[in-house]
Amino acid sequence: MKKRYIIIINIVIVGLILFIIVKYANDRARESNQASVASFEKMTTTTEQIIANYLEDEQHLCDIWSNYINRSAEAGDPMTIDEAISYIRKAKISPEISGHLIYIDDGSMKGISTTASTTDTSDYSIKYSHISIFDNLEISNVDGAVNLTRAYTNPLNGVQSIAFLNNVKVMDEETGALRQGLLLRVVPVSRLEQKLVFLKGEYEDVEISLIDWDGSYMIHGKSLKNSNFFEYFKSYNPMSAQEYNEVINTILTDIGSMHIHNSKNEDCVIAYTPLSNLEGWFLVAYIPAKELIMNRSIDWILLVIVSIGLMVLLHFNLLLLLNFNRKLTVAAEAANQANEAKSLFLSTMSHDIRTPMNAIIGMNEMILRDSHDEGILMYSESIRAAGSTLLGIINDILDFSKIEAGKMEIINVDYNIASLLNDLVNMVQRKADEKGLIFKLDVDSNIPRILHGDEIRIKQVITNILSNAVKYTQEGSVVFSISSTKCEEEPNHVILHVSVKDTGIGIKKEELNKLFVAFERIEEKKNRNIEGTGLGMAIAQNFLNMMGSKIQVESEYGKGSEFSFDLKQKVVKWEPLGEFDAAYKSFIRDRQRYKAQFIAPKARVLVVDDTEINLKVFVSLLGKTKIQIDTADSGDAGIALFKRNLYDVIFLDHMMPDKDGIETIKEMKECTDTPNLKTPIICLTANAVSGMREMYINAGFDDYLTKPIDTNRLENMLLTYLPTDLIEQPLDEFSDADKSVDAEKDSKPIHTLLLVDEDVALLKKLKDQLSSAYNVVVVKSGEQALKYLEKHEAQLIIMSSEMPDPGGLDEDKLKRMNLKDISQNELTSQIKEFLGEGC
Amino acid sequence: MKNRIKTIVSMALVAMLVMGVMGCGQDKSVVKEFSPKYSPDTEYKLSVVGTYSNFESLDNAIERFYAHYPKGEITYTCLDDYGNAILNALAGDEAPDIFVAQPWMIGNEKYDSMFEGAEVLSDSELEINLDCLRPGVTLDMENGEIVALPIFATSYGMLVNMDIFEKEGLEVPKNFEELKKVCDKLKAAGYESPVMGSNTTTTPGIGYSFAYPMFANTVKGDRSVEGDLNNLEPSAGEAMRPALSRLKEFVDYGCIDVAKCSAEIENDYDAVILRFFEGDVPMMLCSGDVVSGTKKRESKSEAFSANPFKYDFYVAPSGDKGGYYMDSVSILFCANKNSKNLDMTNEFMRFLTSKVELGLMAEKKRLITPTKDYSLDEVYASLSGFPEDRTINVRDIEILDTAVKQFRAAAYAVINGTMTVDEAVANYGSIHTD
Repeated sequence: MKKRYIIIINIVIVGLILFIIVKYANDRARESNQASVASFEKMTTTTEQIIANYLEDEQHLCDIWSNYINRSAEAGDPMTIDEAISYIRKAKISPEISGHLIYIDDGSMKGISTTASTTDTSDYSIKYSHISIFDNLEISNVDGAVNLTRAYTNPLNGVQSIAFLNNVKVMDEETGALRQGLLLRVVPVSRLEQKLVFLKGEYEDVEISLIDWDGSYMIHGKSLKNSNFFEYFKSYNPMSAQEYNEVINTILTDIGSMHIHNSKNEDCVIAYTPLSNLEGWFLVAYIPAKELIMNRSIDWILLVIVSIGLMVLLHFNLLLLLNFNRKLTVAAEAANQANEAKSLFLSTMSHDIRTPMNAIIGMNEMILRDSHDEGILMYSESIRAAGSTLLGIINDILDFSKIEAGKMEIINVDYNIASLLNDLVNMVQRKADEKGLIFKLDVDSNIPRILHGDEIRIKQVITNILSNAVKYTQEGSVVFSISSTKCEEEPNHVILHVSVKDTGIGIKKEELNKLFVAFERIEEKKNRNIEGTGLGMAIAQNFLNMMGSKIQVESEYGKGSEFSFDLKQKVVKWEPLGEFDAAYKSFIRDRQRYKAQFIAPKARVLVVDDTEINLKVFVSLLGKTKIQIDTADSGDAGIALFKRNLYDVIFLDHMMPDKDGIETIKEMKECTDTPNLKTPIICLTANAVSGMREMYINAGFDDYLTKPIDTNRLENMLLTYLPTDLIEQPLDEFSDADKSVDAEKDSKPIHTLLLVDEDVALLKKLKDQLSSAYNVVVVKSGEQALKYLEKHEAQLIIMSSEMPDPGGLDEDKLKRMNLKDISQNELTSQIKEFLGEGC
Repeated sequence: MKNRIKTIVSMALVAMLVMGVMGCGQDKSVVKEFSPKYSPDTEYKLSVVGTYSNFESLDNAIERFYAHYPKGEITYTCLDDYGNAILNALAGDEAPDIFVAQPWMIGNEKYDSMFEGAEVLSDSELEINLDCLRPGVTLDMENGEIVALPIFATSYGMLVNMDIFEKEGLEVPKNFEELKKVCDKLKAAGYESPVMGSNTTTTPGIGYSFAYPMFANTVKGDRSVEGDLNNLEPSAGEAMRPALSRLKEFVDYGCIDVAKCSAEIENDYDAVILRFFEGDVPMMLCSGDVVSGTKKRESKSEAFSANPFKYDFYVAPSGDKGGYYMDSVSILFCANKNSKNLDMTNEFMRFLTSKVELGLMAEKKRLITPTKDYSLDEVYASLSGFPEDRTINVRDIEILDTAVKQFRAAAYAVINGTMTVDEAVANYGSIHTD
């Protein structure tokens, strides 16, 4: 992952963490704020109760005064106004509280006070006619509840006060008549304010106000300007008349709180509640929101600290990561170097072994082809077997290398189980024969003939097991059993049961765990004369694991072993295999001496290889095809010929001194002064390690052929790349003995199929699939097909349905097919049907 | 490259910081006009008492004062029956530190003790800069000491709907002749009563607003009549003749439809403002106190909210050469020299005594500033540079309230046709007043 992605991801994570912190903090703050507001409201209601109690107490004291005065009147001995005031003067304790008694029956609102005017100490007269404090009060019939005036200016001392009221009956001194008076217990507002100081509780900046219905204050805090709370609210909280009325109505009817703006446009909270037992008075507690609401700056500080912490952590982690990355890079580089060294070693080993092997196997092939001396043939056959074994060992190492590198893939194809068994038996029978072992076959005739799976790897697994069985069995027999049962879970699958039982040396129980370990060999000391790398079973087990199976082993030391596995395979064609013995015997019959697939005397091929013997092998192997072969022992020599002569196919070795195959082909491709601009160039190399094919194709080669050269593959490749007009049927040059075999074979004539398609790779694949049963000729166009048919005969012409009809093809032999999409089985089936071979 | 980017970013940040600091500095410089004498940590508690139930302009001034002295509290209380209560309050246990005085209290024996108890603001030790005040509104005592700080000034004249004048292509009249011509044109344009006003005997009423400044100018021109006027001598009634005659001419010419005014304007305050805000009255006679109520009532008037217009205050063009500007004091502040916190009381008075603070208070209240600078409220811009010879201030005349009431009653009688000018002049001293 690139560094910037790591940084981005880290930043995203940091952002996410910060977001969560902010959200959490906000949620908590909101909860806390709600709790704070609720607590503030509670404080307000508590304060309201205390104030209400105080006011009730004051009213009660006023009532005591009035009751005393009224009881005198009720007793028939009413007090005069002076006597009443004199009584109150004695009864009241607090000097700042005064009692006013005024007449209300004549509307004069005049009377006397317990205290004198501050400007004239002899003047106790009082007059309320100039002060409109009784407008909303029913002063003639005070009913005994708390009756309170608004805050007003005490006319005698100019002090803002509130007055508690009650009616009294006093006697007019002059007339002796009983008159209705109003007694006022006048309490300075400051006295109430002093009491409120102790009610603030935990709130330092709370300001408690008492307002009446109109919003006029009895008392108010310093922040609430104006003489009227509602005016104040309206001044600093602009809103529509309807909204304003709703707010006022809420304050006057509910208990609760709300946010308002003060004169500085700051957010504030007011809690409001009506005063109990005191109609028309309300308590409003005011507090700046910042005191009540949790200060978010603390959250921000926390946030900044966390952010810095996370950023430090991020940087620290990045540094650590960079350091680790640096170390990992070094380690990876070392591992890569080691891997490259290993690859180089494998490549070199493969190349260096295959190069002489090519000569050995190639030359031995020539002996097998040309010699008629039984003894020589026997020796030669031994060389072939040994060469084949050595090649197997090399292939095992290469396979294991692929498995280790994770480059081994299972490639499933449709395959004929008979063909697979043929190959296996052919290989093992020979080895068993050589050791004098009895090789028994137990093949279930009901195995579906065409299956879908990785034929090559299955063959390799069974070959490894069979090879081991033959290798480790000195006498007795090797029994190869294969059967199938239908898969219950998947109806179009069968389970193949494969078992190889031998009468070999057996395996000790304690050695069993070594069986599938790479490079481990059982009883190394005892078996050191037996060839092998110790990779075979490990590879087989790996392949089976990749195919969803595994090898089971039952062994009795000294008596023999049985290796078995079950493998699920998809069935393509349920047609039973039938009696394999007959097929096998047919195969044995077919195991003939070499015969060239074709001759092409007009074809011209260039082969470039720095090893002279390899050039000889190449030339010799193709001797029977009569192809004209030019050889070059270096890249430069090859280029010179490349420029001079027209070739139909060029084979170019890779690892050559001075100018290797890659450099040579590069130079060839850049060369315009050559008749070989379109000539296919095939890499002929002893380098067979994984990934080489891609490498060569990328380098510009058309195809890739490994050494030691397999004659069949070489001829098939030539059939693919040589122009079809140059290919002719091989001449019959075998001996009488050969002829007799051929005659026997002729009883089952080989049909020639002419495949026409533009896709060369597809043609090659089809040819490989069908070559075992037919003589397959492939051409790229209708014109080439016509040209071929001028000189040759084909029993069936299969032409891609996508190609245009060239005209002139024998319609009776022509079959149009979509070759790309048809399965091998379907193709085989259709061919057989067409040729009337039956299944 | 990276270093360069870092340098650019750093410089940008430093520049922002410097600009921020400069910005803060600029804000402070505005407030710096007042230099506090005492520590900002000074704790104090002051009380102000007055006649206004709402005194928002003072509230705002207090808030600005808190910027210098945050650890204190200044409360304002409206006293009931202020004229009587203030005396008792000053003598009581909870005497205010600052109290409102009204111009009519000066010279009234009842309030001598009140002013005696007031701090001498002209005392140089207090460092109160009284020079920012217009001399005409600076009321000094007999001994020349200034004990009351004028907070608001007021006047009498008319609100002019500037949009109507602009629409009709007219200039605001400067003298009586121009007024008549303008009224002719406005009537022709469909305005039945080009001038309106409250038909009352009060100071914002038609007679007083239009004619009293002219009457005052007559007295200013011959102060020998002042004594007889104050003594309600019938002979002094002649002093009213020029003003009452002009008032009569004003009505008779049809500049104002008095009956319409009576029918459509119920009182001399709210009704005057709201009728003016209807938008179809070119000129509305009123006092400065009425103008002070306009700002708050703009939003209360549906008509004005729907169709707002520009309006200004002008003196009524009653004279041949022009109108007469009554430069009167509305209210004053006195500092109680017996204040328990006299230092901070004087500090607050010193704070208020500046063209900025007094200008802001007047602008908030929409009354006329007592300072020389009228620029803070454009409604009163017409008063700036008003000719001195047609300006009458408290120093120019000393007409007692009883004499003023006689003029108001006479003017009311003349415009309503209950008295002729001659009758009003002849009956001076005995005209019935409310």
